[in-house]
Order: sequence, then structure tokens, then C-alpha cells
Amino acid sequence: MACSVILFFIGLYCLVVKRNMIRLLIALEIMMNAVNLNFIALSSYVVEGAVHPLAHVFTVLSIGISGCIIALGLVITLYAYRHYGTLDVRELRRLEH
Amino acid sequence: MFTPLLDALFLFVLTTPLVGLMGQRVKREKTVVAAYITFAFIFPLMLIPMFYSEVLWKNGVLVACVSSSPPEAVCLEVNALSVFMALIFLVIGFMACLFSVREVELGSITGYYTVLLGMITAMIGVVFSGDLFTLFIFWEAMCICSYTLVAFKKELWESIESGYKYLIMSSAGSITILFALSFLYGLTGTLNISYLSMSLAGAERNPMTYMALLMLIVGFGLQAGMVPFHTWLPDAHMAAPSSISAVLSGIVVKAGVFGLFMVLLTIFASLYESWYIILAAFAVLTMFVGNLSALLQDDIKRLLAYSTIANTGYILLGLAIGSHRALTGSLFHVLNHAVVKALLFLCAGAFIHKTRTRSLKELAGIRRVMPVTGTIFIIGTLSLASIPPLNIFWGELTIITAGVEAGMPLLSFLMTINLVFSAAYCLRMIQMIAIKEETSTSKKAREVSIPMLIPILALGFFSVLIGVHPSPFQAFAEAVAEVALNLTSEV
Repeated sequence: MACSVILFFIGLYCLVVKRNMIRLLIALEIMMNAVNLNFIALSSYVVEGAVHPLAHVFTVLSIGISGCIIALGLVITLYAYRHYGTLDVRELRRLEH
Repeated sequence: MFTPLLDALFLFVLTTPLVGLMGQRVKREKTVVAAYITFAFIFPLMLIPMFYSEVLWKNGVLVACVSSSPPEAVCLEVNALSVFMALIFLVIGFMACLFSVREVELGSITGYYTVLLGMITAMIGVVFSGDLFTLFIFWEAMCICSYTLVAFKKELWESIESGYKYLIMSSAGSITILFALSFLYGLTGTLNISYLSMSLAGAERNPMTYMALLMLIVGFGLQAGMVPFHTWLPDAHMAAPSSISAVLSGIVVKAGVFGLFMVLLTIFASLYESWYIILAAFAVLTMFVGNLSALLQDDIKRLLAYSTIANTGYILLGLAIGSHRALTGSLFHVLNHAVVKALLFLCAGAFIHKTRTRSLKELAGIRRVMPVTGTIFIIGTLSLASIPPLNIFWGELTIITAGVEAGMPLLSFLMTINLVFSAAYCLRMIQMIAIKEETSTSKKAREVSIPMLIPILALGFFSVLIGVHPSPFQAFAEAVAEVALNLTSEV
């Protein structure tokens, strides 16, 4: 569980610091994996000594969901690359604030 | 499999592409799909009253489990709060669909309608779900559909840019929610909402509980446009097609608010003392930032988007006050704001459709060339400025009086100051649209066609109707607030 919290914060750190669009998606994926790990780790507290099947269901479904998000993110990244010719998010600042 | 309402909607979502294909065969894709989608909305809308009476008949909760029995099963729970939200979602979604028949000019519109209908379905799934993991799955389905719709004009750089920003921020938010869910699961061994609230009320205070609470507030607040996490909202509303902005602002943001209602009033109801101060601070910050930024905007859709942020602040304030009256005000404001903001975005969409610009300066004086849309826009703006005989006034009045009643006059005072700010930018919009001389751009505009006028007129009618005759709507909101407060005690 400590491991998954660390993993989550690594993901969050990447999300804040990294500037490459694909790396941002990888950061999201790391955070998602941290959550999955957490589900499995905590399920052994719920049922002593074994992994609770409910947690497995959650994890499998959430892996599927994260796949969807990343796929859509890559599609948008592809279009952004065609528009801007770069993957650097600092270039995506044409919207005023 | 699920409740009849959701089943029907799922069926419609799945068959829309087929209908589009058949439409292509007979070379009438647009007409066929539009007619089908209209039917797909009207049918569930007719189901709702029946459904509501069934819910009332079964003591307020309708449970539909897929497999085994509760603590571990995946199930749907429908109560008055869910029906209330579902009704708002369907009405606003229907209006946006009608409007986009003319607005969205694409080669193939089937994909657009499928995704839009899918988003509404997923949102209804969010409000119907009885355990947090079902809620999360529908939530993600809704989010994925709305990213797609924001980035739908893929040949424009601004929609791609804002779509990417929205995707990254909002998925980080949903992953935060899921992380909190994993902690709650670890604490109690279930994600069923009623069982969670029971076991958390009995358990001793654990740092993990507070961490989960904070993460859930952040995650749902991100979708609701709460302030430190609001930056995606103006961009997404600006870049999306106007009917999608109406849906985003009217109901997707409200789904985030619903998530907060659900989580705070049921699961964490026993921890009220620890969350109301945080939430009140966020709410006050949200409305100040929203209103002050709205004062500075020239882009009409951006201005409306910031005003959405401010209004989320009012709703959250009602939730933070937490009395029955305040919740009534909040829910009533959810309804009123959905109607008015959808109306304003659709009117703005009509202006943009005819002039191809979003700048208020260039839109000056457009009421003279588009009299009907202009007049309805002014009614909506007056309502947003909370002028008494229109609808938004009643919800806000209820929240403010509830604040005074509950012994938190400071919050009411801060909200009143904010209403003055919002009146300031609303009056500025009216001055620009109605009083100023026409510019060269706005002179060229014409009145929009009938399919665009129908939803605008209908929403304008709702706004005035709720304004002059608020009692039945307020009574409904009161009943729903009663249910929302007592959700935990029913189990």
C-alpha cells in the first residue's frame, strides 16, 4: 500500500513537471496502476490471507477504462501534432487566460 | 437488465449508428437521424413520471441488482434525487440536440449524435447508481464522451488544445476519485453507498477516511469547476460547439455537483463537522474568482463559462450550509441554472452561427437584427443577474435566507456581494447586445431558422414560468432535498 501511494505521487509529479504530451499520458497511466495496486493490496485486509474477488473485478474494469482514456488521449495528441508539429505542451498556449 | 429507463436509452445509443447507416442508404442521413434522436429523447421523458410514481410507491428507493445481494453486488438505486437530476439531464440534452440539428455542419452527423446521446445516458447512469464503482464506470463513460465532443471540430486548433487540457485534468480528477474509492474499499470491504455510510458512521476516525474525503472533494470538484481546478472549464466551453457548451455547462458540471451531494450527504454525513468548513472555503473562492474573471471577458462564451463557475460556487455554498432549506435552495438552483445557462449558450450559439465571431464588441447591437433571439437572450441575462420575477432569483434567495437561519450570516453576506458582481457583468452584456449601435458584423446577421428557435423559445418559456410560478418547482426541490438528507437513515 505504501508502494502504491508512492507510485501515485510519482505519477502526479510527472503530470506537473513533464512537458511532453505522451509523457503526460504515461503519467496518467502510472497513477491508474497505483490505484489498481492499491485495490489489490487493500483487499487482503478485507479477507484475511486471500484476495477478495470484488477487488479483482474492480481492477480488471479499471484497467479497461484506463485503456479507453489513453486511446482517446493518443488520438487527440495525434491531431495536436498535426496542428502544431510538436509534442511540447508549452507550445499549446494559444488560448488566452 | 438495468432499470427500464436506462435500458431504453442504451438501446437507443446502440441503434443510432445503424439508423445512420440506413439513412445514408436512402441519402437522407440528417433527417432520419434527427427524427430518431428526437424520438430517443421524448420516449424516456415520457417514462419519467411513471418511473417517479413507481419510486414513490416503493418507499422512495428502487433497487435493481444485477447479480448477488447487496454488500458486494453491483446495483442501481433510484430515489427522488436521481429522478430529479435525470429529468434535468434529459430536458437540457433534448434542447441541445434540437439546436444542433442546424448548428453542427458536418459531413456525417451520426457519430456526433451517438456520442451526445451516450453522454446523456452515462450521466443518467451516474445518478442512478447505487454503489460507487458503478458510479465510477458511468462517470468515465460520461467523461470520455465529453472529451470527444469538446475536441469534435478536429480541424480547429483551439478545440484540440482545450480537449487535450480537459482530458488530462479531468482524467487526473477521476483517477483521484478512484484512489479514494480504493481507500474506502480498504476501510470497509464494500463500495455500496448505503453500507459504506453505515460502516463509516460506526467506525473510529482514521486518517485514511479523511484522505479519502479530501480526494473525493477534489475529484468531483474538478468536474464541477471548483476554483483551484477550474482552468479547463472556460477553454472547453469556448472551443466546443455551442450546443455542447450548453450541455457541458448545464448538466456535465451538475453531474460533478451531484457526485459531491451523493458522497458528502450519504457516505460522509456523519463527518459533517469536518467537511463543511473546507467546502465553504472552496465555494466562496469559487464564486469570487468566477465573478471577477467574468467581469474582464470580451468573449461571450468565456464570460458565460466563468459565470458557470460562479454559480457552482453558490450551489456548493448551499451544500456547505447543509440545512434542509439550504439544500432546497441548492437543488432549485441546479434546476434554474441548468435552464438559464443552456438558454444563454444556445442564444450565444445562434449569434455565433450568424456572425462567426464570439467577441462581444463585434456582436454589439445584434438585438435589432435578431429580435427574437436577442429578446430571449436579454430575459436569460436578467435572470442570471437575479432580477426578481425570473427563476434564478428564487433559488439564490433560498440559499441566502438559509445561511442566515443556520447561523452563518457571513456566508450569506459574501454571496450577496457576489450577486452584485454578477449583476454588473450581466448588465454590461445587455448594454452591448441591446443598446449599442450595430457594428458592420452584426448588421449582416439575420434571424435564425425555426429548428434553432424552438429550443431557445422553450427554455425562455421555462425560465419565465419557473420565475412567476415557482411554488410547484420549489415544492419538488424541497421533497428531493428531504430525501437527500435522509438517504442514510433509510437503510
